[in-house]
Amino acid sequence: METISAGAAGTQTKEIRTRHRRKGLLYDLRKNRIMWLMVFPVLVYFLINSYLPMVGVYFAFTKFDFNSGLFGSPFVGFENFRMLIKLGALEKITINTVAYNLVFIGLGNAFAVTAAILLNEIAGKFFKRITQTVMFLPYFVSFVLLGSMAYSFFNYDSGFVNTVLQWFGMERQDIYNTPAYWPFIITFFYIWKNLGYSTIIYLATVVNINQDYYEAAELDGASAWQKIWSITLPLLKPTFIILLLFAVGHIMKGQFDLFYQLVGANGMLFNATDIIDTYVYRSLKVTFDMGLANAAGLYQSFFGFVLIMIVNFIIKKINRDYALF
Amino acid sequence: MGSSALSARSSIKWTAYIFITVASILCLVPFLLVLSGSLTANDSIVSEGYNLLPGDWSLEGYRTIFHNPDKVLRAYGVTGLTTLTGTLLGMFMITMTGYVLQRKDFKYRNAVSFFIYFTTLFGGGLVPWYILVTKYLRLTDSLWALILPGLLSPFLIILMRSFMSSMIPDEVIESAKIDGAGDFLIYWRITLPISLPGLATIGLFLTLHYWNDWYLSSLFINNPDKYQLQYYLYNVINNAKAIQDLAISGVTLNANLPMETTKMAMSIIAVGPILFLYPFVQRYFVKGLTIGAVKG
Amino acid sequence: MAVPKKWWGLGLSASLLAAILSGCSSGSNNGNNGDAQATASASSTESASPSASGAAATASPASALDTSKKVELQFYMVGDAPADLKEIESKINEMALQDLNATVKFNFTTWSDWSQKYKLLLASGQPIDLIFTADWTQYQTYANKGAFLPLDDLLPKSAPELHGFVPKEMWDAVKVGGKIYTVPSTYEEYVTDGIVYREDLRKKYNLPVPDSLEHLENYLDGIKKNEPGMTPIADKGNLHVEAYQLHPDLKNMAYKVGSTPYGLNIPYDDPHNVTSYWGSQAHLDMLKIFKGWTDKGYLPRNQLNDATRGPDLFASGKAAVVLSAQNPTAYGQLLSKMAGTGMEIAYFPYPMYKGYSTPVHPIHNGFAIPTSSANPERALAFYEKLVLDKRYNLLTEYGVEGKHYEVSADGHYQAVGDAGASGFPREGMNGWAWRNPEYMLFDTSYDVVGGIFKQLETISKPDFLTGLAEDYTPYQAERAALEQVQQEYLAPLEAGVVKDVEAGLKTFMEKAKAAGLDKVQDGYKQQLDSYLTEIGR
Repeated sequence: METISAGAAGTQTKEIRTRHRRKGLLYDLRKNRIMWLMVFPVLVYFLINSYLPMVGVYFAFTKFDFNSGLFGSPFVGFENFRMLIKLGALEKITINTVAYNLVFIGLGNAFAVTAAILLNEIAGKFFKRITQTVMFLPYFVSFVLLGSMAYSFFNYDSGFVNTVLQWFGMERQDIYNTPAYWPFIITFFYIWKNLGYSTIIYLATVVNINQDYYEAAELDGASAWQKIWSITLPLLKPTFIILLLFAVGHIMKGQFDLFYQLVGANGMLFNATDIIDTYVYRSLKVTFDMGLANAAGLYQSFFGFVLIMIVNFIIKKINRDYALF
Repeated sequence: MGSSALSARSSIKWTAYIFITVASILCLVPFLLVLSGSLTANDSIVSEGYNLLPGDWSLEGYRTIFHNPDKVLRAYGVTGLTTLTGTLLGMFMITMTGYVLQRKDFKYRNAVSFFIYFTTLFGGGLVPWYILVTKYLRLTDSLWALILPGLLSPFLIILMRSFMSSMIPDEVIESAKIDGAGDFLIYWRITLPISLPGLATIGLFLTLHYWNDWYLSSLFINNPDKYQLQYYLYNVINNAKAIQDLAISGVTLNANLPMETTKMAMSIIAVGPILFLYPFVQRYFVKGLTIGAVKG
Repeated sequence: MAVPKKWWGLGLSASLLAAILSGCSSGSNNGNNGDAQATASASSTESASPSASGAAATASPASALDTSKKVELQFYMVGDAPADLKEIESKINEMALQDLNATVKFNFTTWSDWSQKYKLLLASGQPIDLIFTADWTQYQTYANKGAFLPLDDLLPKSAPELHGFVPKEMWDAVKVGGKIYTVPSTYEEYVTDGIVYREDLRKKYNLPVPDSLEHLENYLDGIKKNEPGMTPIADKGNLHVEAYQLHPDLKNMAYKVGSTPYGLNIPYDDPHNVTSYWGSQAHLDMLKIFKGWTDKGYLPRNQLNDATRGPDLFASGKAAVVLSAQNPTAYGQLLSKMAGTGMEIAYFPYPMYKGYSTPVHPIHNGFAIPTSSANPERALAFYEKLVLDKRYNLLTEYGVEGKHYEVSADGHYQAVGDAGASGFPREGMNGWAWRNPEYMLFDTSYDVVGGIFKQLETISKPDFLTGLAEDYTPYQAERAALEQVQQEYLAPLEAGVVKDVEAGLKTFMEKAKAAGLDKVQDGYKQQLDSYLTEIGR
């Protein structure tokens, strides 16, 4: 009896499922044809611009040869990856890349959220506009310029920092030969450069929070800090999660310009500052190998992919709505 | 209690003013260095480094650039045109996609999102993409090569999607549907106006993206008349380095430019217009705010 | 949280950034690239030749040049285009249309990212008819990998005059795997380096001419003592290491522009007897000397990160010597740049200490036809015009006579108006490769340079090493790893910032060995040996 009813229930769900499946893509294409039409150009765009070139992943497994062209080049299996490992530093630079990016994501968002909330608290329109513009300025300073400016701040012989230290009767610091300083310096410049930019994203959300919430909270006697804590911050969560997911996706891409222009060829600092991009860059300058480049790219992609899957999975567990997919 | 709320209110104001002021100063200082560098004699930068105030005033950097104003003006023109076209077209497509993706009754929204998002995770690499654009799409030396590749960013689409889903109550769409409005009409007439602040944000990002782009010029443009402004800047900044490095290979080039100060002057010239634009765009944030408030 | 800038995904992000930013610091690394030849071609003939000859077969026409069909040639040169390129192009096209029923489009890569662009142009297989080649654009590597058409059969048919104009030794010297892939320039110059120093200060403080390590140190010492505000050495990023050449033990090293391969000392007189100078006493001596320079303030302590150093610093009077990258032509330019400043400068060529100099190798400037070319015959015929037809040559080297330049009564080149603002400065199209010594025009500053060339000519010996087309495939990974170790451990030693030099050198040698130094050195030595045997040294 029980088994029969269980079986009946089973076929019933199956039936629902198949009916559901029959109402699949084709059905939806018809039902929501306007909406499909609206996203169609976008799908085509990504198909051509992003998916078509993905066949290039194959190059990571070939040994490039001009005569045979891209697809005629001999297949070498995992040879390029073996070479990548042979270079010997994969572990260190992977850890560095992830660690730096975690700090960037954490501190970068913390500062941006703080700045957005505080900016919103400021009443003076003129002050608000000016400061917001000013905070945006670093975004336009190219990394090449940044590199030379950092040098005039930190160099041993005539750097601004050392001049100041001497005023106070302190000893000069050889910053460029002291790896310990560099994680801080690089993080500082990262936040400095991107603060204005990410603040805007948060500000657009903060500005749009319904004033009713605050008024209601005020009636309940909430203080200004309490309102931020219990209204503003929770409402910023979706924005934060999107930024987080994208940032995680880009972790393995590192921040090549930032590291390269600040550290350059200074080997003394590599142990503390080498990320995958800078390392592979230096290797490719000598080996000049398209296969290796693609293998490195694929390694980065793959690692980023796994990371994003994990993060998305966790978010999904916590709150389904916030997950990306 | 009222007074403690008041004091918290003012304490937060103070914190806000202090924090924002400090951050602004930190952001301003290096920029002032660039500005002052652009007004300093080259020799003085080379020998003394950067200063907050020019020790040795000179306009030689600007003079070098405007020796041949055609080039700079043309670069402005190219950047202006690509920025405008790209931003408008991009905003239209991004908001449209964002709208569809936040519609709960669009069954495949997650699949489509993933289809879009996946492109940021995986790529075929530069060479195949380069071949696609140059060989198959034949966009070399075309302004479309500067516009199309940056048109849609998964990041902005997803951002728009979440912005709209938090801004637009489902009931609004439902009632519009009951009134017989089609999907596109709902997007155009109802969703877009509500999303103005988000639109301003996306628009600003697209503008910045196009304005700052130099890389596409470097890949696809051979004709110097079609260089973007930032590529022009990029060349000024990097050529000095490239030319110096070349000397090691035994190549000698004539390079009697006041390199350092020219770099700085070019940076100022490249940033200028967008900075003027920024406070203007900011107005739209304020406007968006008012709309949000009226809507209640 | 920057918005993803590279929408196309991750792919080659590393390599592309790499290429962009590298400018062409490749010089220092790629000096090693050695070159074309016997063992090297063991693998190259296997991969390159069959298909290459196939391409040649389809390309070779039955009869002489067929100009019945009008074509547009794509011409690629590295560097920046001159402002008046359009005008030159249309003038050239008028002639070319008549002579060859062809027009040409001159494309330039810009300097800032030429190396990336160069790579992409060749790898993507887009139609290009003529492209610049040099040792520093890795001519031999590309030729080995089959990027260029072999010209041996094409030359007598499509450009017979050019074929006869370039001496046979030069054609032989540019061969890779026994085939010609580029048309070399016949202009003979010296791009060997020397020391540029402040002669007025030398006289003022009664210092020696820096013609040896000892005298150089005395000179530096005198400058530092008398001009306390100066950091005497102007070089940036460790380039002062060219002073290695002044160590007596390394004097006979067959030094190649850029660097010596893998720390090997290849004696010019006895090139089979290769030793490693890395880890040798001479190496230690030099590193100690560099450390002393940093400690005594001759070098800035953070030289590796200082972007403003270089000849500019010297020209502004803030440094007293430049030790690197100053070939006679570069010195000539510094000379005219500093002419009105009251500073007197002088030049000591390293070859004068070493006892011999080498003229530039033919692969230093050339033009090749990529495999992707649709019109190789017409391209070669056009290139012949560029070199041998005086109208084409003068127009593309110096611009329009009367508008861009004039020839003075005594036959010197004279720019019209301000040379810095000219729409076509001298050699404005970077036409080093199609210089024709018979038509060349020089400005007056060249007289000094010519004098140095004469001096170097008296001790001239051929550069036989650059012809070696190294094939590093067998030790590619080790080579790349070694480069990393060099930057991480050797560069700080050379910059003089490692406190304990001896321990530092030991660490470097250990790390280098672990990275595969022996395999790389042995691999290179083998190729060198068989190459030397082949050319009869």
